Amino acid sequence: MTQSHIMSAFDRDLESIQALVMRMGGLVEAAILDAAEALETRDEEIAQRVRAGDKAIDALEEQINAECARVIAIRAPAASDLRTVLTVMKIAANLERCGDYAKNLAKRSMVLAQMTALPGSTGSIRRMAKQVTLLLKDGLDAYIARDARLAEDVRQRDHEVDQMYNALFRELLTHMMEDPRNITPAMHLHFIAKNIERVGDHATAVAEQVIYLVTGQLPGDARPKVDSTTAAGPAA
Amino acid sequence: MNDMRLTERAVTQTAKITARGVQVHYGTNHALKDVDVDILDKTVTAFIGPSGCGKSTFLRCLNRMNDTVASARVTGKIEMDGQDIYDPRVDPVQLRAKVGMVFQKPNPFPKSIYDNVAYGPKIHGLARGKAELDQIVETSLKKAALWNEVKDRLSAPGTGLSGGQQQRLCIARAVATSPEVLLMDEPCSALDPIATAQVEELIDELRAQFSVVIVTHSMQQAARVSQRTAFFHLGHLVEYGETGHIFTNPTDPRTEAYITGRIG
Repeated sequence: MTQSHIMSAFDRDLESIQALVMRMGGLVEAAILDAAEALETRDEEIAQRVRAGDKAIDALEEQINAECARVIAIRAPAASDLRTVLTVMKIAANLERCGDYAKNLAKRSMVLAQMTALPGSTGSIRRMAKQVTLLLKDGLDAYIARDARLAEDVRQRDHEVDQMYNALFRELLTHMMEDPRNITPAMHLHFIAKNIERVGDHATAVAEQVIYLVTGQLPGDARPKVDSTTAAGPAA
Repeated sequence: MNDMRLTERAVTQTAKITARGVQVHYGTNHALKDVDVDILDKTVTAFIGPSGCGKSTFLRCLNRMNDTVASARVTGKIEMDGQDIYDPRVDPVQLRAKVGMVFQKPNPFPKSIYDNVAYGPKIHGLARGKAELDQIVETSLKKAALWNEVKDRLSAPGTGLSGGQQQRLCIARAVATSPEVLLMDEPCSALDPIATAQVEELIDELRAQFSVVIVTHSMQQAARVSQRTAFFHLGHLVEYGETGHIFTNPTDPRTEAYITGRIG
């Protein structure tokens, strides 16, 4: 719906809420990338910054929820306006979760900085982080552009992240079997990888909200799932 | 078309009124263009749309109120329970006993509260005696949620009541002839929010017995009280469907634009 409301204040309300979501998305993407960088470069300063930055993300979610409640109470939105408000709240919740994962990554990176590095793994994690932030960015771009096709593309691309996670899982398993002293760092790295994989799922959830916003219906078909780790052992 | 509400009474799927290809001209003005609709029994149907879109015109077709407008010409077919209501053998007065109407402004007769309600049953010979008439007046006032407020002053003039009470009196008057369909043309536009809520509650209760058709400019009211919503625009019936569906995901972009406040 590109046509503007007769009451322009309604448009301003909806636009300002969406601007908050976009700002939140920007902060979350940066937090994930920064945390992955902190992990690879063993930079505690960056890690500390990411940990502190999660407060701003949480505050934005609260602000978005408060604004949405206000719009519902005052404007009684209907149809696509109603779906906009509903999806904004869900997307904000998804982003807040992603922020928590970034914070957790930063925390674990500080622990790992005190240990011997496992060769290669942190690079893989950083590549994975890049991939999920791209998914998040595309999901949010699809949201702003009301682009259901791009959203569907994001849904389909999440399995690339799943594959990266599966590969990393096997790699970490090998390290642990080779030398029990690798278990502590490998476990931390595994939690990190799993969390980043979860960010991919949240990006997918954002994409599904975009499809609901545009079409009025959530996608009914199951998206491709690649999780061979459940077959390989007690993971997932 | 499923009713999306979780806790509502089930909606019947039987059509009470069937309209096909209904056109209305006022002189040279083509007010209603080819309207097809099934009004369901024991269901509240809301007509929404901007002023001049034809919703009141269509409502007035349903009890042949347009007969009273000299320049009006109604074509097409409107059937109630399979009976063509525009059949020359149908007496419009008898039809209006079955299809009651409540207007925008409360218009009680300049008579007592009792006589306002008793008038219809009396002229249609629905009561066999004073006791029966008393009974009809009481039940009608109870159905209109007015009994407790007026039971001690039934002989007081109806015009002395407050606006909200007057409107409920008019509803009691409409209900008194035991209609099968109740038409309401913006029944709450002159009422305060409390009286509006009382009338809305009443509409929901009346649905157990009649088919209610309500024209309203308040989209929130349409969303609150109806199970089916019809959107009219420029004389066309643009979209007709389950109310929850119309207000969350309408099919036609014109419906969307109207209910979200983008076109008037």
